[in-house]
Amino acid sequence: MVDTIIEQRRTILKGVISASTLALVAASGLLLPQRVLAHWPMDAFNAKTLEDALMALLGHAEIVDDSVVQFKVGSPPSYAVNGASVPIEIQSSLKNIERILVLVEKNPNPLAMSLDFSPAVKLPFKSMIKISEDSFVIAVISAGGKLYKTSRMVEVDIGGCA
Amino acid sequence: MGLAAKDRIRAKLKEDETTVRLLLAHPMHTGRGENETGELIPAEFIQDIRCWRNDDEVLTIKCGTATARNPYFSFQLAGGQLGDKITIRWVDNIGAKGKADTIVG
Repeated sequence: MVDTIIEQRRTILKGVISASTLALVAASGLLLPQRVLAHWPMDAFNAKTLEDALMALLGHAEIVDDSVVQFKVGSPPSYAVNGASVPIEIQSSLKNIERILVLVEKNPNPLAMSLDFSPAVKLPFKSMIKISEDSFVIAVISAGGKLYKTSRMVEVDIGGCA
Repeated sequence: MGLAAKDRIRAKLKEDETTVRLLLAHPMHTGRGENETGELIPAEFIQDIRCWRNDDEVLTIKCGTATARNPYFSFQLAGGQLGDKITIRWVDNIGAKGKADTIVG
């Protein structure tokens, strides 16, 4: 009985020590506590090219270029004065949308956001993104087991990826 | 950390659809920006946002560094009724968390 209590105490102490060390390391900024966020697809968000980002998230899936996805970037469309906040609006006639990806081709890390929809969510979806320079902005919609892609060229006056 | 600013959320029911609008107060540093003295600002950005209607999780938004400062999102939920509770929670890359909720009006 006493043994097990001591045993438990040790494990708890060990846990506390390792947790505090981790917190210290994290606070010093040397190591981001990415393990804590295992559900965040790090490979995809840290990918340096469009292809890598798509590959990390979707695997070898085939993407159909399609006009069933309508989306607007910038206001007025396809132009942005300030790349630090460019409005985007995604609209589509597709049903059963499971996931939407927004990518900016020329950004240092192209993947801007990944949305996981439940059946209750409806489009349009609006948000603001950063665009570093004139670039294609790509929306990929996964619906009913298929992937649909649409892209728009956006001109940016002041790059916004700082 | 922008502690003075607050996350804002609004939800409105119109013609059988609930429109949720969300404005989070967050600097969204990419890790590439510099401060006044030319030092790099460490990365600090929201990674994961989850949204619930009452007890059902309806939307997950995963963000990279390319999401704009003070992230804004707007989306629709099918159906819904007055008095539904919409809750969102977010967490950033250094573990900071936030929560906001509203009642559909």
